[in-house]
Amino acid sequence: MSMDDDELSSQIRQHATRYTAPDGLRAGIRAQVALADAGRAARPRQRWFGFGALSFAHFGWRTASVSFALGLACALIVLPAVQRMDLNQPMDAELVTDHVRALKVGRLTDVVSTDRHTVKPWFQGRLDYAPPVFDLAGDGFPLLGGRIEHVRGNVVATLAYARDRHMIDVFVWPSETKTTPVRSVNKGFNVLHWADGSMQYWAVSDVEGAELERFAQLWQAQAAKP
Amino acid sequence: MSNRQAFETLVLPHLDAAYNLARWLLRSDQEAEDAVQDASMRAFRYIDSLRGVDARPWLLGIVRNTCFTALERVRSGPQQVEFDETEFEAELGEAQRSDSDPAAQLQRQRTRVQIDAAIRALTPPLREVIVLREFEDLDYAQIAKIVAVPIGTVMSRLARAREKLRSILSQANLGE
Repeated sequence: MSMDDDELSSQIRQHATRYTAPDGLRAGIRAQVALADAGRAARPRQRWFGFGALSFAHFGWRTASVSFALGLACALIVLPAVQRMDLNQPMDAELVTDHVRALKVGRLTDVVSTDRHTVKPWFQGRLDYAPPVFDLAGDGFPLLGGRIEHVRGNVVATLAYARDRHMIDVFVWPSETKTTPVRSVNKGFNVLHWADGSMQYWAVSDVEGAELERFAQLWQAQAAKP
Repeated sequence: MSNRQAFETLVLPHLDAAYNLARWLLRSDQEAEDAVQDASMRAFRYIDSLRGVDARPWLLGIVRNTCFTALERVRSGPQQVEFDETEFEAELGEAQRSDSDPAAQLQRQRTRVQIDAAIRALTPPLREVIVLREFEDLDYAQIAKIVAVPIGTVMSRLARAREKLRSILSQANLGE
């Protein structure tokens, strides 16, 4: 028996396995695109130029061209560095900047996995504490992965979760205090902060405030489980 | 239309096609997911170049390049055989061990296993033209553009791929 091309074609079309994209993949891609898009909209460079103009007005240098050059140099070189070290800058603003930067360079996750049993061990040897990692996919917040961020000289565990088209970053580091979730808004991003006596959490996202609060509730419920 | 809207409306509807191609070219679900994720972010970055172009072959081109880069990372040097008999036997054996369907479905199941195993045993350059032609129903010119080879090469690869599949499937059928 020998098939002709058409026969072979119809055999393949009829019988061969046709793979479909998993939902988690689709959600992850949409979230990453949404965040890359949000990151692109918020260019920190524009802010630095704003600071440059401010310093120009402030000090009133004699020669406009000199002051302009200095202001520009200040804007381009000095201020970003100062801004990064500025300890008076609120924590939520700093974390929003980290969140947006991660979106912009497309480095949301250094360990990409929807399995918390893969993400949690990844932090071993990278941190001197073990951050909790919860699977909230059943509640519509699939885990995307994790990475490390440096926040004020601390090495901080960062977990990435998706919510529909949105991305949520959760920054986790030890704290002995206990606080209920407090929400703030920074540059259009919602920031939720709470602490449970062993860790403190900062969740940052462009998802709606109520959604982010629900995420925190689910997280706390998981954390409270024995 | 913003870049993100363009991505959502033009690119995202072809995610199944993208995943199917990646899954056929690579060895595991995880590898295919990683490749599609990479390719999607690349597609988003270059979405401006999509204006006025058919999105499906455009995306499949990006996916295919990502997959071949991934394949080259694990394998060095060209593959000599266009159809790997041992691979075919292994794929067949693997699938049949996990086969516990009732008798009525057995024949159809067996056909699927044989065809899947035969396609998988093709070398990647032959496998991709089969997937693009038979699964995605693209024409020679579109395939040539995706694979970045002349149309004549597409036709000869397709002919060779079909020849291999035909002979192996005929043998398998006769053997029953």
